[in-house]
Amino acid sequence: MPYDPSKPLQDRITDIGPKNYEEFLPPVIKKNFGKWDYHEILEPGVLVHVAEGGDKVFTVRVGGARLMSISHIREIMEIADKHCGGFLRFTTRNNIEFMVDDQSKVEPLKKDLLSRKQPGGGFKFPIGGTGAGITNIVHTQGWLHCHTPATDASGVVKAVMDDLFDEFTSMRMPAHVRISLACCLNMCGAVHCSDIAILGYHRKPPMIDAEVIDKVCEIPLAIAACPTAAIKPAKIKKPDGTEAQAVAVNNDRCMFCGNCYTMCPAMPLADAEGDGIVIMVGGKVSNRISAPKFSKVVVAFLPNNVPRWPETTDCIRKIVEVYAGDARKYERLGEWAERIGWEKFFEKTGLEFTHHLIDDFRDPAYYTWRQTSQFKFTG
Amino acid sequence: MKHKTPLLDQLESGPWPSFVSDIKREAESRTKNAKGVDYQIPVDVCDDILGVLELTYVHKRTHWKHGGIVGVFGYGGGVIGRYCDQPEMFPGVAHFHTMRVNQPGGKYYSTEYLEKICDLWERRGSGITNMHGSTGDIILLGTHTPQLEEIFYELTHDIGQDLGGSGSNLRTPSDCLGKSRCEYACYDTQALCFDLTNEYQDYLHRPAFPYKFKFKFDGCPNCCVASIARADMSFIGTWKDDIRIDQKAVAAYVGGEIKPNAGAHSGRDWGAFDIQKEVIGLCPTGCMAWDGKKLTIDNPECTRCMHCINVMPRALKIGKETGISILVGAKAPILDGAQMGSLLIPFISAEPPYTEIKELIEKIWDYWMEEGKNRERLGELIKRKGFQKLLEATELEPVAQMVKEPRTNPYIFWKEDEVEGGFTRDIQEYRKYHLR
Amino acid sequence: METAEAQKVIIEGLEKKKGKSKFYLKDFYAMLPDWKPREVNKLVNNMVQQEMLEYWSSGSTTLYGIKGAGKQGAAEEGEE
Ligand code: HEM
Ligand code: HEM
Ligand code: HEM
Ligand code: HEM
Ligand code: SF4
Ligand code: SF4
Ligand code: SF4
Ligand code: SF4
Repeated sequence: MPYDPSKPLQDRITDIGPKNYEEFLPPVIKKNFGKWDYHEILEPGVLVHVAEGGDKVFTVRVGGARLMSISHIREIMEIADKHCGGFLRFTTRNNIEFMVDDQSKVEPLKKDLLSRKQPGGGFKFPIGGTGAGITNIVHTQGWLHCHTPATDASGVVKAVMDDLFDEFTSMRMPAHVRISLACCLNMCGAVHCSDIAILGYHRKPPMIDAEVIDKVCEIPLAIAACPTAAIKPAKIKKPDGTEAQAVAVNNDRCMFCGNCYTMCPAMPLADAEGDGIVIMVGGKVSNRISAPKFSKVVVAFLPNNVPRWPETTDCIRKIVEVYAGDARKYERLGEWAERIGWEKFFEKTGLEFTHHLIDDFRDPAYYTWRQTSQFKFTG
Repeated sequence: MKHKTPLLDQLESGPWPSFVSDIKREAESRTKNAKGVDYQIPVDVCDDILGVLELTYVHKRTHWKHGGIVGVFGYGGGVIGRYCDQPEMFPGVAHFHTMRVNQPGGKYYSTEYLEKICDLWERRGSGITNMHGSTGDIILLGTHTPQLEEIFYELTHDIGQDLGGSGSNLRTPSDCLGKSRCEYACYDTQALCFDLTNEYQDYLHRPAFPYKFKFKFDGCPNCCVASIARADMSFIGTWKDDIRIDQKAVAAYVGGEIKPNAGAHSGRDWGAFDIQKEVIGLCPTGCMAWDGKKLTIDNPECTRCMHCINVMPRALKIGKETGISILVGAKAPILDGAQMGSLLIPFISAEPPYTEIKELIEKIWDYWMEEGKNRERLGELIKRKGFQKLLEATELEPVAQMVKEPRTNPYIFWKEDEVEGGFTRDIQEYRKYHLR
Repeated sequence: METAEAQKVIIEGLEKKKGKSKFYLKDFYAMLPDWKPREVNKLVNNMVQQEMLEYWSSGSTTLYGIKGAGKQGAAEEGEE
C-alpha cells in the first residue's frame, strides 16, 4: 500500500529507530567482534586488523567529498560488491572504508580505486587519511544549503584538500593533523577543537528590510533570538513614508551570528565584503599525553576569494609546513605551540599578531592574558 | 548543462574529488534517465543546484532562506526547511528541504540497504546526499514539501528506517566503530548507542528539552568521535585494572622487529625507535620504567591517556576490568564560550541493560527540564547553578576525581543544616557578653 | 486539572499573546504551574498529534504555535 495523502495517519509507523548495525557487519568483522588483537597501517590508507584467532581484515580508506550524489554512491556500491562482499563503511571524517578478508585482494582493490577518475582529472577515490598525516576535513553545509553561512563549505574544502593532497596520501607529520570547517559561528561541525579550524564569520550586522518587516516577521521572536540582546523594538519609516513597528539593532553589541535572520527573513546579514574566514589552530579532542584543548584564533579575517580561496589555502599550507618542520615527534599542533610559546608561533609562522586576537569576550578572556613575567622575546 | 558555471568549473581540476563534477554527473544521469525513473521533483533539480551555487559564488551571499514549519507529521525534528530566494530562476530548488536519516552504528552498510536509499532518493529527491552530516546522520539534501510524508512513509514501511533528530530534541546519537574493529574499545559502543537510541525514540522525535541534547560514544580516550568536545553526555571507554604487557613484544619493538605506532609515523625517517624517549619520557604521569629488559608500569599512577598503547599496540593492551567514564556539558561557544565535558562519573559498568546509566540520564534530564532556561545547554546550566547542584540532582557522592583541583576561594555557601546549631541564634544571649 | 481543561488553558493562553505566534516549551510550564515539566511536555506534544498545535524549528530549537497561525506560517504556505 503506497502512502495516501488524504489519510496521512493510516498505517503510520513511527519511532522505529535506526537499522540494527549487526545487519551491516561484514562476516569477518561479525565473527571477530570484540576479539581484535592489534592493527597496523601497512601503507598510507591501508590498515590491517588482526584478530586473536588469526583472522585478518584489510581496510583501504579513501577520501570523499561528503557531498555525494547517488550515482557516486552506486559506484561505491559496485566496488563493494566486486571486492568486498557487498559491505563498506564510512568514517566519522567522511572517508569511505573498503574491507577485504585477504591480503591478495588488497592490490586489485587499490588498483581499481585509483583507476577511477573524474572528468577534470581528480581521483574519485584517493587512498590515504591514516596515521600521522592530514585526513579528510569535517565540515558543514555552506552556500549549498544553509541560510546563515559566511563562507562556502564544499568549495573551500575542495581547495584546501587539493593543496594538501600530498599530506592526505602520506604520513610525514609529527602527529595527526585534523582540519575542520564550519561556515558560521553556530559551528555545526566540530571545529572548535581541531588542529586547524576554518570558520566562516560575518562582519556586518543585519540589514532591516523596512518595507516588509512588519508583514513577514514577528518582532518579539526576532528580539528573543538574539543571543546578545542587541535587538530592540523600534518604529521605523517605510519607503512610502508611513511608520511601522520594526526593530533596531545595536551594532556595537552584534556578534554577527545570524540567529535573527533564522527567525526573521527581513533581517539578512550576508555581505560580499563583510563575510570571510577566521583561522583557528591548536585544538584537539584526544586525551593522549595532554588534555583536550580548544582551538585559538590566529587569523582574524581572510576574504571569500572565490572559487579557490588562495589566502586561506596559503595560510594553512604555511602553518602546516612550519609545524611539520619544527614540532617533535608525537606533538600535536597545539602541544607544539604551547611548548614553544604562542609568541614564538607567530614569529615562526610569520602570521601577524593583531589586536583582534586578544580575547575580549566575557569571562574566559581573562584566563587567556598572561599572568606571569615569563615570556620569550621575538625578533 | 542548463546553467553556465564558469566559477564552479574551476573546482573541477585538482586531485581531490570534486563535488562539482559529481553534481554534474547526477544532473546528466537525471536528464538521460536511462532507467525510466518516474521523478517526483523536477528532473533538472541538480542543474538548478549548480545554478544557484554559481550565483552565490558571484554574489558571495547565500541564496537560501530558512523554513521552520516543514516536517513530517508529529515529529519535531528530522527535517530542515529550505527555500531558494530566486525560485523563478531556479524552480527545481524552489523548495530544498533536508531530511536527516538515523545512521547505523559504526556507519557500516550493506550495498543492499544503500541501494534502497538511493532508489528512494532518486525518485523523490535531488539525488544529492551528505554521507554524513556532522552530527552523524545520513543527510538527504533537497526535496519539495509534498514529498516529505511520502519519503517518511517509504522509509518506515519499505526500508524499516527512521529519521534522526533536530531542534530541541535528543539529537541522533553517534558512536565510534568500537569493538567491531578496534582493539582499544573498552566497551561495545555500538550496542550502547543502539540501545539508548531505541530507548529514547520519543525524545529523539519530539521536543522535550530547553535546547538540543547529544550523546556520543567513544570506545577509548582517543576519542575518535570527539565526544568530549561535542556531547552533552560523553561516554568514554576506560579501564580500572592494569595495562597488560607482553614483554616479548616490547623487546620486539625495541629491537626494531615491529614498527612502532602501528606504522602511523612511517612517512618520515624519525630515526630508530627510542622507547626511553618516545614512551617512558612522554608518559604524562611518569609512571613507566624501562631497565633495558623489562617494561614496568606503576598502574595506580596511570591516567590512561593511551599514548603508550598507541605507540606499541602489540605489546600493550587495555586492562580487563573495563567500563565507561561519563563527562557532561560540552557545548559550542555560543554564547558564554565553549565548554568541554566535565567528568561526572569516573567509572560505570557498561553491561546491558544499562539500567544505572539510564537512571542517571533521566535524573539529568529532569533537572535540566526543570531548571534550564530557554536555549540553555546542559553545560551552561551546570555553570550557572554550579556543579554541586548537579550532584544533588543526580544523587551522586562527591569524589576528588571530579575536579582538577579544589576551589581557590573559601566562599562556601554553607547550608543551615550543615552548621552545628543552625543559623537561628539568640541576640540577647550574645549581648550578655558583647556590649552594643 | 483534566487534560481537556489544560488544553483549553494553553489554547487560550496562546490566543491572548498578540504579535507572537511561537512559544518555547517553558512558556507552557508557566501556564500550568501545577504540572510537572514532563507532563506538560507530553500534553503539548499530544496536542500536536491532534493538530491543535504545530512545531516550528529553527534547526537548533523547536517552538510551538497554534496550527496555521503566525506570519512565518503564512509565508511558508504561500510558497507552496
Ligand atoms: C570559532 C571557532 C569555532 C568553531 C568554528 C567551532 C565549531 C564547532 C562546531 C561546528 C561544533 C559542532 C559540532 C557538532 O556537534 O557536530 C562545535 C562544537 C563544540 N565546540 Fe566549537 N567551534 C569553535 C570554537 C570553539 C571554542 C573556542 C570552544 C571552546 C573554548 C569550542 C568548544 C566546542 C564544544 C565544547 C563543542 C561541543 C558542542 C556541542 O555539541 O554543543 N568551540 N564547535
Ligand atoms: C541558534 C543557533 C543555531 C541555529 C539557528 C542553527 C541552525 C542550524 C541549521 C538551520 C542547520 C541545518 C543546516 C542545513 O542543513 O542547511 C544546522 C545544522 C547543524 N547544526 Fe546548527 N544551529 C545553531 C547552533 C548550533 C550549535 C551551537 C551547534 C553545535 C554546537 C550546532 C550543530 C549543528 C550540526 C551538527 C548541524 C548539522 C550540520 C551538518 O552536518 O551539515 N548548531 N544548524
Ligand atoms: C593508534 C591509535 C589509534 C587507533 C587504532 C585509532 C583507530 C581509529 C579508528 C578505528 C577510526 C575509525 C573510527 C570511526 O570512524 O568510528 C579512527 C578514526 C579517527 N581517529 Fe583514531 N585511532 C587511534 C588514535 C587516534 C588519536 C590519537 C586520535 C586523535 C588525536 C584519533 C582521532 C581520530 C579521528 C579524528 C578519526 C576520524 C578519522 C577519519 O575518519 O578520517 N585517533 N581511529
Ligand atoms: C579568598 C581568600 C582570601 C582571603 C579571605 C584573603 C585575605 C587576606 C587578608 C585579610 C589580607 C590582609 C592581611 C593583613 O594585612 O592584615 C591578605 C593579604 C594578602 N593576601 Fe590574601 N586572601 C585570600 C586569598 C589570597 C590569595 C589566593 C592570594 C595569592 C595567591 C593572597 C595573597 C595575599 C597577599 C600577597 C597578601 C599581602 C600580604 C602582606 O601584605 O603581607 N590572598 N589576604
Ligand atoms: S555552521 Fe552555520 S552556516 Fe554552516 S551549516 Fe551550520 S548553521 Fe548553517
Ligand atoms: S546577527 Fe546575531 S547578534 Fe547580531 S543582531 Fe542578529 S541575532 Fe543579534
Ligand atoms: S575511540 Fe578508541 S575505541 Fe573508538 S575507534 Fe577510536 S581508538 Fe578505537
Ligand atoms: S596510558 Fe598514558 S599515563 Fe598510562 S602508562 Fe601509558 S603513557 Fe603513561
